[in-house]
Amino acid sequence: MSTELELKLQAFLDGELSGREAREVTAAIEADTEARKLFAELKTTASALRDNEPQLTVPESREFYWSKIERAIERSEPEPVAPMLSFWIGLRRIMVPAAGVALVLFLGIASLRMNSTDPLGHLAEVENLSEHMSSFSFRSQSHNMFVVWLHENADHQAAGESEAADLEDEIIQ
Amino acid sequence: MATKQEHAALSDEKLVRLAQRGDMLAFEELVARHRDKIYARAFSMVRNEDDAVDLSQEAWVKAWQRLKQFQGESSFVTWMTRIVINLCLDHLRKAKRHRAESIELMEEESGGVERQMPVVQINPTEGLERGEIRQRIDKALGQLSYEHRTVLILHEFEQLEYKEIAKRMQCSIGTVMSRLFYARRRMANLLASFKREELS
Repeated sequence: MSTELELKLQAFLDGELSGREAREVTAAIEADTEARKLFAELKTTASALRDNEPQLTVPESREFYWSKIERAIERSEPEPVAPMLSFWIGLRRIMVPAAGVALVLFLGIASLRMNSTDPLGHLAEVENLSEHMSSFSFRSQSHNMFVVWLHENADHQAAGESEAADLEDEIIQ
Repeated sequence: MATKQEHAALSDEKLVRLAQRGDMLAFEELVARHRDKIYARAFSMVRNEDDAVDLSQEAWVKAWQRLKQFQGESSFVTWMTRIVINLCLDHLRKAKRHRAESIELMEEESGGVERQMPVVQINPTEGLERGEIRQRIDKALGQLSYEHRTVLILHEFEQLEYKEIAKRMQCSIGTVMSRLFYARRRMANLLASFKREELS
């Protein structure tokens, strides 16, 4: 008997064949004694297993078994963030971008003053009020141009990340 | 809040709804009701008591965490069984990576061994008490490789189709078919050998 027919006998038993294939296998079972015997063995085994799944009981008391589940659930659930801590985290998230926006606005106003007809306009100062950012400026009288570079402080960025990590640690604890 | 006794009188569906709203007592009742079945499924797959207890408990913890996702499309116990099966499959895959394959398994995987087994023409479970049949099936399952045992469990006990088994076991439908064929033939021969031992 071919391996293909063996597997088709099994697929027929499990209802996994199309109508045409099922008819072919039925014919093979009727015509071939070996196929008939093998089909009967597969059917008996499948039926014995289906009706007699081994039954087992947990080898621990209900209370002990549950207590371990309960502890694991408690450990896995995140503790709520303290209200004060969450307030400061929220404030930080607002204040940092707000400082950046304020700086840009300030520089924009300064730049407008530079381009005005005020003879003392070129004396306008660029003052960086943000501790998170540094700025460099360049003024060209001949081109009537004023350029400002802004960049975030690397030290502050690293410190911020470490601070954020500390905060997260505190929340986890 | 209802008491333990009141929970014991509720249906699974009611208990699930309560547990979804955070009622831990309702969940405890579900655990008490179905823990044996979930443990039995884990044991039938991993064949180790301690691992089966750990995996079944992990399944309950996962179920609590995902309880809101349970929509009641299947019964709660079917949903739970699928969780523990997935955990067992992960566990067995990890374990397999750490152990060398036996020569027997390599022979099984190469195919053809089942063709040398004689066809069993008697019913090896005929005349036996149900408890005895279950014991023999359990013993025979223990003698199969995990791949063959798993495919048999998923097909015969969980009644999954070839396609679904292939997805869960991360193999082709052809592999599922040949593993299932080998597993059934080996089961038939093992059960017949237990019968012969009994008669001799």
